[in-house]
Amino acid sequence: MSGSLYVQLLDLTAGLVLVCAFVVLWRRDLAAIIRALAVQGAAVAGVAAVSGAHHRDAEPLVVAAVVFGLKAVAVPAVLRRTVGRGGDTREVTPLVNIPASLVAAAALTLVSYAATTPVVAVAPSPETRTIPIGVAVVLIGLFTLATRRKAITQIVGFLLVDNGIALIAFVATAGVPLVVELGASLDLLLAVLILQVLTVRMRTKTGGLDLDALQELRD
Amino acid sequence: MTTAGAGLLAACVLGLAAAVAGVGLPRRARAWAVGVATALMALGALVAALAVIIGDRAFTARLPSVLPLSGVTIALDPLGALFVVVAAVVAVPVAVYGVGYALHGPDGRAFHAVVPLFVLSLLLVPAAGSVTTLLVLWELMAVASTLLVLADHRRSPAARDAGQWYAVMTHLGLVAILIGLVVFAGHAGGESFAVLRARGPHLSSSVRSAVFLLALVGFGSKAGVVPLHVWLPKAHPEAPSHISALMSGVMVNLGVYGIVRVGWDLLGGGPRWWGVVVLAVGAVSALFGVLHALVSSDLKRLLAYSTTENVGLMLIGVGAAGLFAADGHRTLAAIAMAAALLHVLNHALFKALLFLGAGSVLTATGTRDLDRLGGLARSMPVTTATFAVGALAIAALPPLNGFVSEWLLLQSLVHSLPSTSATVAVAMPVAVAVVALTGGLAAATFVKALGTGFLARARSEEAEAAHDPTVAMQVAMVALAGGCVAAGVAPTVAAVPLERATAVLGPLSTAVAFRGSGSSLRLNGISGSMSPAAIAVGLVIAACVVLGMLRAVGSPRARRRAEAWGCGRTVQTARMEYTATSFAEPLQRVFDDVLRPDLDLDVSHASESRYHIDAVRYRHGIRDAVDTGIYQPLLRAVGGWGRWARRVQNGSIHRYLAYALVAVLTVLVVAR
Amino acid sequence: MTVGDDAVAALQVLVVTGSAPLLVGVTRKVRALLEGRAGASVAQPWRDLRKLFGKERIVPEHASWVFGVAPLVVVSTVSLVAAAVPFVSTRAPLAGVGDLFTVAYLLLVGTVALALAGLDPGTAFGGMGASREMTIAALAEPTVLLAVFALSVPARSSSLARIVAATLAAPHRAVSVESLLAFAAFAVVVVAEAGRLPVDNPATHLELTMVHEAMVLEYAGPDLALVELGAAMRLVVLLGLMASLFAPWGIATTARPAQVALATLAFVAKVGVLGAALAGFEVFVAKLRLFRVPELLAASFVLALLAVTVSFFLA
Repeated sequence: MSGSLYVQLLDLTAGLVLVCAFVVLWRRDLAAIIRALAVQGAAVAGVAAVSGAHHRDAEPLVVAAVVFGLKAVAVPAVLRRTVGRGGDTREVTPLVNIPASLVAAAALTLVSYAATTPVVAVAPSPETRTIPIGVAVVLIGLFTLATRRKAITQIVGFLLVDNGIALIAFVATAGVPLVVELGASLDLLLAVLILQVLTVRMRTKTGGLDLDALQELRD
Repeated sequence: MTTAGAGLLAACVLGLAAAVAGVGLPRRARAWAVGVATALMALGALVAALAVIIGDRAFTARLPSVLPLSGVTIALDPLGALFVVVAAVVAVPVAVYGVGYALHGPDGRAFHAVVPLFVLSLLLVPAAGSVTTLLVLWELMAVASTLLVLADHRRSPAARDAGQWYAVMTHLGLVAILIGLVVFAGHAGGESFAVLRARGPHLSSSVRSAVFLLALVGFGSKAGVVPLHVWLPKAHPEAPSHISALMSGVMVNLGVYGIVRVGWDLLGGGPRWWGVVVLAVGAVSALFGVLHALVSSDLKRLLAYSTTENVGLMLIGVGAAGLFAADGHRTLAAIAMAAALLHVLNHALFKALLFLGAGSVLTATGTRDLDRLGGLARSMPVTTATFAVGALAIAALPPLNGFVSEWLLLQSLVHSLPSTSATVAVAMPVAVAVVALTGGLAAATFVKALGTGFLARARSEEAEAAHDPTVAMQVAMVALAGGCVAAGVAPTVAAVPLERATAVLGPLSTAVAFRGSGSSLRLNGISGSMSPAAIAVGLVIAACVVLGMLRAVGSPRARRRAEAWGCGRTVQTARMEYTATSFAEPLQRVFDDVLRPDLDLDVSHASESRYHIDAVRYRHGIRDAVDTGIYQPLLRAVGGWGRWARRVQNGSIHRYLAYALVAVLTVLVVAR
Repeated sequence: MTVGDDAVAALQVLVVTGSAPLLVGVTRKVRALLEGRAGASVAQPWRDLRKLFGKERIVPEHASWVFGVAPLVVVSTVSLVAAAVPFVSTRAPLAGVGDLFTVAYLLLVGTVALALAGLDPGTAFGGMGASREMTIAALAEPTVLLAVFALSVPARSSSLARIVAATLAAPHRAVSVESLLAFAAFAVVVVAEAGRLPVDNPATHLELTMVHEAMVLEYAGPDLALVELGAAMRLVVLLGLMASLFAPWGIATTARPAQVALATLAFVAKVGVLGAALAGFEVFVAKLRLFRVPELLAASFVLALLAVTVSFFLA
């Protein structure tokens, strides 16, 4: 793959990861949020695949396939099943209203760019120049965790953080070994399944997915 | 004596003569004499300033005998001359307007004596050449304007409150300027600007930063930046309209002048963070000002907040210029500074025009409330037409003058990328976004002001009974409207003065902002050109072609007036029109978290049953967040401290004598 | 033989004016076909305009001169923009007007004129339309200017002719990250400024859902014809801007008549395709309620902001 085509594909897939993070903040519909998460997972896998295709290395391609299967197929399916079991399907009132959270996410992106300039300066290359995007996605995931009410959206925020970390791992270290990736993926799947069980328990206890209701447990 | 010297001397003499005439002449002749003398004084100063700009050499004079101890130093260089031109160009129509306004407004001797002194101080502050001269003239300006704000205090208690706020804040600003300049002069070993300019770049960086920050606070409070702007929306509505025009159109510019003069001329420019601070202050002021202007239904309060917004835009230009100069991009810095200075001129023109129009409306209808005006296009055609020119100019619509300075500012911000500095790469998009949002909101605000205040039907009897003001007032408004159009269509006239003005500022002195080639504005060093004359001519040609096409198609031009359809209503009353408050409501809802409106809904039920409602009271108001969030708690704290301190003075003579005994004992012990 | 610059400008105005009602007809036809109807003929808007031009001119009794002047201002500003934007040739017919900022502000002049004309008759719906239209225009401004910023960085200028020439010289830049982000932001702005779904429904007959239509409720006869023509020309100009900025292939770089003719055909084809795509998209979306529109505009603002900053950080 020629140099400039590789750089463009890398930039495009990394840019898609960032745009999906913004779509998660923008949409209210839980189904649309999960779709955006699936596309983001596919894009993270795409980054690994592009990198592997350019360096003509088979291992990143296998890792990309595993990541795709997990992040773009399995986890969104689990989340969809949780949502589908009835109850509300929309994030109606976030703690920070949507235009303000979009502007805040843009500000977080600018902060991540400004803060990671010295990191990129250590070894400037097309791969390392996408590290700020990974950091931005991590920050946006933390913001989602902090400002959304529904449990599903909070899980999505947690998964955004994980996607961001995966992206940084793929570009910063010139590929992650298959063993490490398999271990991390299994941990992630386990975490999501446990969270799903807890969400169902929460719904039976409080009748909804609103995390503010958990405050009542204090008494 | 040179032309400049003669002009300034004539201005001083005429100003004092006008003040004497205001005190001495009988009522009928007073307004005329003061108005004519003030106009001539402004013309004298204008001649002096133009002589300095065209000759491109500063005029200096020293008068050791006028003030004890330090004397008066006058140093009028092209930068100061530009601000004198701005002041003079506004003062002439305002003086003419004042002649007509005296029939409706205050016309006491004190008032007519103080107005020329106020205008004189506005004309002379940019010509000050030493710290004492500047401070004396500044204080004269502050005292004169306070007296003018209080001119109506017998008729309205709000004027008294406004006068208090204004007096306190302007003097706090003066204290900040005083401390800053005195520290500067102390470290530099002299108080004339020439000495300060020579020693300024060599002082230690902590002293320079302290002086800069104090100057920013002091001059910024005069300019009306957030959070020191709270006096603006209180003082402007209460002052007589032509005084508000002078205050908004000229006096706030002197705040910008002070920041530019001290920061970039005397101190010789500074590190990058100076530019970033000024840019941030400007951006916050612009957004805050325009949001409050948008939701204000008092016409003069709206214009006052709009002044804060425009000062914010000027400071965005100044801050960007500082940032670029610190990074070494002199061409861009020159363009940004030229944009800011051009905006000073343009803002003076259209803001004075708008305030004069508001004054005409106030004298004709007796109300400033947009929710009670309307229908003035029919009864006050001249005022409506000139106000429309001012409103379209302030909304930065081509081909008027607001668009030219906005375009220049945007060009300077946009050409900063690609850049090697992360600060610039983050600050510039944010600055462009702020400029864009304020531009859009300003357009909405002035569509509201023009549309609900002047068009459609009158919403109250006072508005129905309105008529155009006297000839003097109309002439003044038409002159300023013509100035806006001229400055919009032929801005290249200002190219040379702006170049000479920015050349005064050390770090930018080798760059030229833009050239006028024929009718179009061509940027120097970067690619960009715009021809407002071509836009104006193009629009006129297009309109003629459209009219010609209509005639060719054979469509009838005769029109028939009929009832408005209004979606099938048979009766349309003035109560069914949109009001200013309802016009701004969707945008107010979008910015709910920032504006935090007060909503009070009081439903009182009939005594017999809860299901029958007796009366509903609804109150909606938006308070200035800085006022309620910072100043009111501060005032309450000061009041609480005062009440506590009162305990010290409880009226008992024994206690006071005991204090005296303690004081004597302390002195004996300490001064041993 | 070459085609002079003034001739190119006049040609552009004629093409835009002539094709505007046709574009409206095409969008209505596409929408009708997708909804399973036959729809009116594509030339129907031309017939409507002809009918309106011949009708009597009626002005509401309380309106002032603003009401009569506004349609002229709308059509004049849009014509001037049509003459200045390099739709057909990059030889910058009117260099003093062909700046992207100038074009954006000229279009805003038309919006302001119509808003004032909506308030002038003193009806409730006119005020409502004006208020909503200014809300949308004010919130779309940051996106517009930031998109202009993003587009002017690679070309080092905001002059339209230079931006088009820069894209023609480096075609791979058209699919770069910042270009795609700017395109997405610009697409949302085009939908908002032209008053199409999901921001405003141009075919609605329910007054409470109107934005643009509510402002022009009182217009009749030749004035209404000018307003409709102006709105249609505005759509053509916005779609043409999108085509010129993001897919400029086909624009003539010299003044030879053959190239200019080919460029005209390419322009008409591109605008037609974009218009049909817009109409098809509209069939599948519902109109947003007014207080969800700021969320859409905030999302497009963020995309434009990313377009500007990404071009710096990924360079």
